Amino acid sequence: MNLSLKTYSNQNAIRLSLLGTVLMVVCIASLGLGAYSIPLDNTIAILLNSLGVSVDNFEASQANVLLQIRLPRILLNLLIGGGLGIAGAALQGMFRNPLVEPGLIGVSSGSALFAIIFIVFVSGGTSAGFLNNLGLPLFAFIGGLIHVAAVFKLSTNRGTSDTATLILAGIAINAFAGALIGLVLFFADDSALRSFTFWSLGDMSGATWQKLPFALILIGLPTFLILQKTKELNALSLGEQEAFHMGVPVNQVKIQLLVCAALIVGVGVSMVGVIGFVGLVVPHLVRLIFSADHRIVLPGSFFLGAILLNAADLIARLIVIPAEMPIGVITALCGAPFFIWLIFNLKKSSS
Amino acid sequence: MLAAKNLHYCIQKRPIVDEVSLEVNPGEILSILGPNGAGKSTLFKILSGEIPCKRGFVSYNHTGLGELKVHDLAKIRAVLPQHSQVNFPFSAKEVISLGLHQVKVSKHEQILQEVMEITRVMQFSDKLYQHLSGGEKQRVQLARVLCQIWERQPYPRYLLLDEPTSSLDLAQQHAVLKILKQLTQRNIGVVIILHELNLAAQYSDRIALLKDGTLQKWGNVKEIMDEELLERVFEHPVQLIPYPCAAGCIVASGLQNQAYQNLNQA
Repeated sequence: MNLSLKTYSNQNAIRLSLLGTVLMVVCIASLGLGAYSIPLDNTIAILLNSLGVSVDNFEASQANVLLQIRLPRILLNLLIGGGLGIAGAALQGMFRNPLVEPGLIGVSSGSALFAIIFIVFVSGGTSAGFLNNLGLPLFAFIGGLIHVAAVFKLSTNRGTSDTATLILAGIAINAFAGALIGLVLFFADDSALRSFTFWSLGDMSGATWQKLPFALILIGLPTFLILQKTKELNALSLGEQEAFHMGVPVNQVKIQLLVCAALIVGVGVSMVGVIGFVGLVVPHLVRLIFSADHRIVLPGSFFLGAILLNAADLIARLIVIPAEMPIGVITALCGAPFFIWLIFNLKKSSS
Repeated sequence: MLAAKNLHYCIQKRPIVDEVSLEVNPGEILSILGPNGAGKSTLFKILSGEIPCKRGFVSYNHTGLGELKVHDLAKIRAVLPQHSQVNFPFSAKEVISLGLHQVKVSKHEQILQEVMEITRVMQFSDKLYQHLSGGEKQRVQLARVLCQIWERQPYPRYLLLDEPTSSLDLAQQHAVLKILKQLTQRNIGVVIILHELNLAAQYSDRIALLKDGTLQKWGNVKEIMDEELLERVFEHPVQLIPYPCAAGCIVASGLQNQAYQNLNQA
């Protein structure tokens, strides 16, 4: 049997490079495919060319579509999908509850509410500018943070969170946020309403190079911070008291994780709308395929989240060419049955 | 020395732990016994630093609990709670190695090997923790806690266990207590909550009897092995039968007077 700990970290490196390879393949596939399809050799030529190797067997229009429309979109997918994956993994680990998901426990709706308030009342519908690029994500982050803190407070009793109360608290908070969103939309005009409908199901079409630096910093930084907490999350999966006994400053770690997860989700929601189930499904898949050790679950969830969101986006772009399906429809269509399966399984394992 | 002075803990003005003072020296085993609801677990949590007490003072090696940082405290005491639930599919070995949280990576492999050997968890170390039996889970948790304080250190340390033998068979119960006895040679003091009087009498250096939150008696085994005292604490007839073991006798549930006389006549 004996898997020494050193080979264990080697094994993790292999697992992650495997996921990385899959991610590369998915990214290159989605660079080429779409309403305007670009053959693989041209795709690679364009990429090489933009990296400074001069190859010229492609047309300028191909390069335009690829570099100005698809590439930023894929990179944004990568950051947001990965971010949602790792945020979900961190929240599940922290709540010690495999049913936790940013959407279910109200982070997404909190972010959505604040994002809509910002769009309707502050920025007045304009979609460009520094104010929007930075202000909107941060505002959404505050909303998400308030909600997740409220749910956490409501569902935690003496350090343990009970699944039923957690889900109920999430429902209550989501309902409240939904009502407030409705109230805000009452003041919005028709075009804002229409864009809200798309946005509420996830809309990737707004991805531009201007958004990317903000996404990179506001998602990359908290992701990096969460990755530093693997040992603490492992200890926490035994229970908060046990983690405390083992020397983990539990409250401090929990606050850091909550803030990081809320920041990632808030930024994601503000940029592309509400995308459900990625944060739920991805950590589970990583646990199923590899192991429950957070040293693999956290980075693995980032990679797998990036893979799944890119794949979902590819499907969303392909199935109704030349139109586009909202990506949230795809993730929910795959994620909701998975969620049901999960509840069945939990019921079985607890009885 | 792990010392507790005048501990007091109330829930809604009802005292759960009332004016309890205790001391545990490194190298000795202190068993806490008492009827259900005596406040054993609450006392245990106060000692481990899990819940702060309203009045009183707990110190480890002459440093108050309040002055110890979480990770410093974890270096001088390990705790095995009564129940630990693991909600994610960890293997037994992964759960055990969680105990190495504060230990240098270079030592991990050796400590894991030694601890898994002594707790005899090798044969199921690759199984999922959730699929283990109650007794196996308990041994895995014990192994995890042992990992935390296994490495020899120049300063005295403590191990606190809340009913570590509750789902173990006879052989395993004694195996666990023997491990604890060995541990005391590493300058470690052990505090253990037990229900089985004979087990406590056989392995403890001192016993504390707790009832209704107050310490009824605290002393070496011979002092505790007193029929009248035990009957009063457990509200059950008790008979001590002379037996060649450390305590000099074993504890049996006494027969009711009438039945006892009938037996004598027969």
